[in-house]
Amino acid sequence: MPQVVKYKAKSIIYFEGDISDKIYILQSGKVSLISVDIENGQELREMVKTGEFFGVKSSLGRYPREETADVLADSVVMVFTIPEFENLIYTNPRINMQMLKVFSNQLRRLHKKVRSLMSIDEQTDAETGLFNIGEYYYKNQKFKPALYAFRRYLTYYPAGIWQGQATDYLIKIEKYPQGGAPAGSLNQKAQTGKKPSAPEEESKDSKLYYDGLGFFSQEKYEDAINNFRQYISANPDGEFMVRAVNEIGKSFFLLKRYDDCIKHFTGMIQKFPKHPDLPEFLLYLGLSCDAKGDKQRAAGFYKKVITMCEDGSEVKRKAKNALKTLGGN
Amino acid sequence: MNIDLSKFDRFKVSFQKGDQIFCEYEPGDSFYLIQSGRVQIVKIMGDIEKIVDILHPGEIFGEMAILEEAPRSASAIAIDHVEVLEFNKKNFEILLRGNPQIAMKLLQTFIKRIYDQKRRFMILTLPDPQAKVADVFLMLSETQSAESKSMNEIVLNTNVDDLAHWCGLTTSECKQVINHFVTQRKIEIENDKLVIKNINDFQRFVNSRRKK
Repeated sequence: MPQVVKYKAKSIIYFEGDISDKIYILQSGKVSLISVDIENGQELREMVKTGEFFGVKSSLGRYPREETADVLADSVVMVFTIPEFENLIYTNPRINMQMLKVFSNQLRRLHKKVRSLMSIDEQTDAETGLFNIGEYYYKNQKFKPALYAFRRYLTYYPAGIWQGQATDYLIKIEKYPQGGAPAGSLNQKAQTGKKPSAPEEESKDSKLYYDGLGFFSQEKYEDAINNFRQYISANPDGEFMVRAVNEIGKSFFLLKRYDDCIKHFTGMIQKFPKHPDLPEFLLYLGLSCDAKGDKQRAAGFYKKVITMCEDGSEVKRKAKNALKTLGGN
Repeated sequence: MNIDLSKFDRFKVSFQKGDQIFCEYEPGDSFYLIQSGRVQIVKIMGDIEKIVDILHPGEIFGEMAILEEAPRSASAIAIDHVEVLEFNKKNFEILLRGNPQIAMKLLQTFIKRIYDQKRRFMILTLPDPQAKVADVFLMLSETQSAESKSMNEIVLNTNVDDLAHWCGLTTSECKQVINHFVTQRKIEIENDKLVIKNINDFQRFVNSRRKK
């Protein structure tokens, strides 16, 4: 059992540099944590709020106390050993969650400080950053990570400022699956799943696919469908075939062409009964029936999706919401 | 870590050797617990790709993404065939409730990373390259067992590239400092090992530089 300990004003609970496995909660009174600011060496004082933990990091991390716990007014604290603290957390996951939030904030701030000291440009936004990573790997002929970064870029920013360049790089990489890269480069094995035959056509077609994604994100669904169709007809075994077909279905839905959408996804399911995105296909079938007013069939599709998906999946959540709106529980 | 993870099998994901698990700057909403294989954490700094860490089974990575939707601060690449459990914001609560040991492990991961970053910051704020390199020696020695700490002479498994990375110097700047220490007979170099003759000497040196 954690102990309840009383401290008199002007006493010290622990000193900086002490090694101890005790963790505290302030129950009442006034405790101040005195530490040295790592940035400027100045003394920092921070009041502990009632109900707040202190001494957690040095205790769990098994390193010396980084601050002195100074008692300013008569105080009552609860003292936990590590096993007692673990117990508390096991029974109250919320406490852990709170603490993780605080720590992750501290870590972010530290990352920032370290980066600024290493004079790394903090201005880079995530979009440009991701593109730069791809470019870095491309220039160093590490094509596998480059491919990954550019693909991710186009997935997240299909109409982004580097979209054109990222697409060009992708095409170059796919054009030379074995690359002009020096032999022995580990990352060369990378290009699995790429067909070495007719690489040129394939890369031209990849552009069709990526441009299609661009149109899609700009809500130009007709153009998107057009591109995806061209991609599929030129490259029926292409790497993005299934994804392109999927995007066409979504475009139909967004164009309110529900019959086309139903026909499309029904065809998909017949063709790929075990496709990992099956729940999504079903969801679109449900949404299309729903939009057409066929509530009963829609509910059937939603229920199917719900039974198929794991808790917490996005598709399941959407299906649940849709079913709820339907009034079918 | 002797935890029964079989009930988390549905979160299992595997990667082939050399596969990218995630990429720096990519938006991330999941974190990973390694079950088998090793994972390399790399970061592009200026014009160099730096290995920040190599993680083993039982270790957690990508943990920053779990509480804040921020871009990944480094890339993760599978060194071997790797099996991980993948958790995201949605199943994270289930995890915390269902497996407090992992929750504890996560808390400890954060604590360790905070400590490492603070230590790193302390090194970087030292005024000159010699003090920086010396402080990296101290940092590396801190992670050694208590037994070897009691002695003056210690052996560090490290190389110039790693040292340079830690103190934010170029490899050639770092080499200069190392050579200087070698000619002063304060250290010896044996392959990938560095023998520190008297770690307490370095401690005093760093303390004196830090006070200013």
